Amino acid sequence: MKSSDDHLLWGMFSLREALYLSFCAIFIVIAKAVLRLHLHVTGHSMVFTMFFMILARGCVQRKGAATFVGLIAGVMCLVFGMGAKSGPLVILKFLLPGIVIDVAAILYPLLAQRYVACIIVGAVAAGSRVIILGLVDWLVGIDRELILQHMVLLSFMNMGFGVIGGAMVPPVARRLAAHGLIPSAGPNP
Amino acid sequence: MSLSAFQRIGWQFSAVDSRLHRISAGWKMAGMLAMCSAAFVGKSFPALLALLVLNVIGYRLGRVKAVEMWRDMRFFMIQTMIVVALYVLRDGIYDGVLPGLRTSLQILLFFMPGALFLRVTPSSQLMRSLRRWLPERVAFFVFISFRFIPYFAREISDISMAQQLRGARIDKHSLANPRNWPGLFHCLMVPLMIRVMKTAEDAALSAEARGFGKTGRSHSSFTVAKECE
Repeated sequence: MKSSDDHLLWGMFSLREALYLSFCAIFIVIAKAVLRLHLHVTGHSMVFTMFFMILARGCVQRKGAATFVGLIAGVMCLVFGMGAKSGPLVILKFLLPGIVIDVAAILYPLLAQRYVACIIVGAVAAGSRVIILGLVDWLVGIDRELILQHMVLLSFMNMGFGVIGGAMVPPVARRLAAHGLIPSAGPNP
Repeated sequence: MSLSAFQRIGWQFSAVDSRLHRISAGWKMAGMLAMCSAAFVGKSFPALLALLVLNVIGYRLGRVKAVEMWRDMRFFMIQTMIVVALYVLRDGIYDGVLPGLRTSLQILLFFMPGALFLRVTPSSQLMRSLRRWLPERVAFFVFISFRFIPYFAREISDISMAQQLRGARIDKHSLANPRNWPGLFHCLMVPLMIRVMKTAEDAALSAEARGFGKTGRSHSSFTVAKECE
């Protein structure tokens, strides 16, 4: 591992960036904990998970930023026991959306400031969590047809909330860009 | 958020003393993974029921109350209904119910050891165990995140209060109306994000001063955050 401040974690983030991403992970965990007490709707935590993950990737425009947020949030949820219904796979449930957001951001670097991009990425990233459930179903030996139906059923809510979370990012990202805190995407097409 | 509020939602540590509580986190994790794997291997009802009995014995050994066990498992009742319904839709009632129940039981038995593990393993023990598994620097960021949870909870409260005093409709009563939701993001999230950037700067300086990472040239993506403060 390089010791330079600019390449603190696997040559990717500076100390400040890594701390900022960790703090975004805190907000995901706090939001998940607070909402859990009041709502019992499947996938509702995707609103804030998507919001903070996409915003984090918009603020720290380096590869792996959203994945790092997912890793920290996943470990914290594991320690807090907030994802036991996913068992030991809770970390993967946060990592997968992070990977999706990172891939999307590589393809379209300024996605955090575009409504359409955020909505699409929010939906896809939130829906990707259902892959874990499909994996468990497949290991248990459920038929493919039923796995697909089960995944579609559960991904519907996740994607809906993911869209809401994604749609909330551009106004905040644009305000931050207007203040010069993050690179601007220029005029909206 | 009070501790009792957390305890109501299940999958939380049960603060009692038992044989399971005294076993090291590493051994408990190994046992949990073995039990999870057994749920996939055992396909017959007798094998699965035996595994269920083993899990319940685990709960008893961990001195976890029946009501707490129910809180851990109630989510899977909904899961069972969905899986059985899908099987019934495809194969009919007579041919669908039993395979559906067997599959649901397998899914339950895959997750039940994890819930028991969290019931009998305190966070401190789990974190010590994770430190051995995670890279040192990742562990640092996990631990520092824990330290900052109360700080940011306070920050959110302070920013919210300040914005409400300026007339923002972001109190609990106003947020019941969806028309006020955009205000939550304009008035709360933007100042909060700026605050987070500033805190990341300060915490990085503090960590560097304590010898974390290189203490040479300092670089930041958030230099403007300092100017905004």
